[in-house]
Amino acid sequence: MITKDKIDAFIEKIPPTPEVLKETLSLLNIGELTKAAKIAEGDLALKSYLKNIVNKPIYGFANEVSDISQIFGILGVTLSQQTVYNYMISLLSPDKWLLFKLNSKSFYELQAQLSKKWEMILKHLEINDKNIYGAISLLPASIIVSEALFNEKIDEVTLLRSTKALDYNTILTRLCGVGLFDICEQIADKWEMDQIIPQIIQSASGLKPSDDEMINNLGKWMHLLLFYELSQPLFIEAGLNDFVDFQVDYVADIYDEFTTIMEIG
Amino acid sequence: MKAVTKNGVAVFSPQGFLDGNNTSSFLNIEDVEAAVNLKADIILISLKKVIFFNRNGLDTFVKLFSKIRKKNSAVVGFCDYDFNKYNAIKKFYKDEIYFSLFKTLDIAYLFSSSFKNQNKTILIYSSDNSQRSAMAIELHDNGHNPIIAQNEEDYLEKKSKEGTYDYVVDSTFLGQMGQKVATRVTGNAIVYTVSDFLDVDITDKFNIEYHNNSLNVGFRLFIFDACKVISMNVHAINFFSRLASAAAEYNATICFAGMSFGKTPKEFKETLEDSGILFYKQLDDILQNKELLKELGASSAANIKNKRALNKKNVSELPNFIDAAVVTIEMMTNAKAIKESVEIHNLVIDDKEDKIASSIGYYGDIDGMVILVFPTKIAQKACELLIGESTDDLELVLDTLAELVNIVGGNIKTLLSNDNIDVNITLPRTYQNIDNLLEVIDNRKGVQVDLSFDDNKFLFFLTR
Repeated sequence: MITKDKIDAFIEKIPPTPEVLKETLSLLNIGELTKAAKIAEGDLALKSYLKNIVNKPIYGFANEVSDISQIFGILGVTLSQQTVYNYMISLLSPDKWLLFKLNSKSFYELQAQLSKKWEMILKHLEINDKNIYGAISLLPASIIVSEALFNEKIDEVTLLRSTKALDYNTILTRLCGVGLFDICEQIADKWEMDQIIPQIIQSASGLKPSDDEMINNLGKWMHLLLFYELSQPLFIEAGLNDFVDFQVDYVADIYDEFTTIMEIG
Repeated sequence: MKAVTKNGVAVFSPQGFLDGNNTSSFLNIEDVEAAVNLKADIILISLKKVIFFNRNGLDTFVKLFSKIRKKNSAVVGFCDYDFNKYNAIKKFYKDEIYFSLFKTLDIAYLFSSSFKNQNKTILIYSSDNSQRSAMAIELHDNGHNPIIAQNEEDYLEKKSKEGTYDYVVDSTFLGQMGQKVATRVTGNAIVYTVSDFLDVDITDKFNIEYHNNSLNVGFRLFIFDACKVISMNVHAINFFSRLASAAAEYNATICFAGMSFGKTPKEFKETLEDSGILFYKQLDDILQNKELLKELGASSAANIKNKRALNKKNVSELPNFIDAAVVTIEMMTNAKAIKESVEIHNLVIDDKEDKIASSIGYYGDIDGMVILVFPTKIAQKACELLIGESTDDLELVLDTLAELVNIVGGNIKTLLSNDNIDVNITLPRTYQNIDNLLEVIDNRKGVQVDLSFDDNKFLFFLTR
């Protein structure tokens, strides 16, 4: 159904980081917001994406923000880098979603919701590392990978899933020995993201806890956040709620804290 | 969200958080109807992967349950929860629980009339006396041996005796149960338990799919345990007469055991006898009498006098049948399957050692049976995707092979519908050894296709 060759072909097709983004990120890395904004202005798609995402209600700006330097200024270095990473991941998303009932608008919404809530969590945990802020960007790549690999096999997968409750990650791992989050790691490597990002993502799969206590703890928060978001009607209806397996026991010890931050009750 | 259906139990498995805003997105009436169409007699929401729920969240499901109950008699409820979740649900609904609660999915299977794995010894405990009795009756009717713990102390003492019980049922609550006729398999006989007044509702309560499937896969003796029947009316008589006529086509026998005609006109008995139904005083008069069992056809899995020939309609759809099997095997093994030979003859299996088989029937616009025969090692490989690891547990492999052949059946249904041919599929059956299979096939001719993938061979056989 899905072979290792198909996975390799998918990874192969991922383009290298565009020069504009490389330069923007490296300037953001050294805190040069104005210079980074100037470079980013040259990429119209990036400009449009940034405008689109920061003007979503969850960002809570009273007036529309349209100027890139203004956007970077408001977001600051950490969140600007996170948003540029979000844009990079969105470049991988298909023109037309077939497996999941998504479109660019709902996918951007998921990115925005995850990013904003990840920020809330990191503030609560008093973490201020921009790479850890950026890690959340890689998480939705797992959805894009599922779409890319399974969209030609929808009927077969549907039949299989009506017989046994198997998530896409499990199917892929059993067929090819490679899981969705391993592919995300390869994407991160290809795009030269900081090493801590794929490590957190692997931990956030809920299946590969990290030996590093901090990374493992961040993985738990991210895993629970993912399922909090995938429990929203928009994403349930998109067919995302059970695309990967929720590891309830893995997140048990942070659950109460999580409900306090998200004001669930 | 789509349900996973197994052993007559359809399960929806939401993940994460359930509240009033999102539960209607998880499940709508169409999803439930699809599950009902798959002949599920129990429809459940699994709470295994749910970390948070509130009353508003469950209410949406409970309203949906109410709609399902009005439309058909399926058992509805929740399963896969821990003690805290169980208590929370009981607290939310107090005395208004009409739905059921099954601690695990395996416990729910025990209460399903389609569950084949019967005769289990089951320890039951509930603090509610009426619940204990209700569970014991249901389990007994389904062919199990329930043992009731009378109080918590008794329960803990009994539970501590390791290996005594196949299952322990606690934190379970039976709400309104389905009125499906309880079914169990005893040797090569199928026993249906009927009770109270038998009227026109018997057509809804009786699982005709299961019955047809049993006929198709070779069962020849069907006994209605009717000792709890008070009376029956003319609609029930007609139903049983039709059932007897249909059974006669397969040379099968239908018996009634323990039926008292105190409140039912004697002529009804004569009508039923005329249609070929036999009457016995009690169940054991049949089950304990080996000679009689043999005479009634329960000594062999198959006893078809009028073998039906494979017809042109079936043969013309052969590519669809082969495709359905090949696509499924390819999906399961990630290997390309190659067709080696196609021939029409009796089923020929060169070496019967270390082989297992599975079959599934289809009926509707056309009817017949597809059989897959695998070397055991290859079946294990083909089932690895579903099991998740390689295993030597033959029971698990056979169980999974049934799931695999069920997928083949689903594919057959889809491919035939593309040609405007409408069929239903029966429940799959597995054969631990080839002699059992050959007994069922009983020398019938069919199309045999030898296939191979990665140099491993398996066999496809289509017959009627």
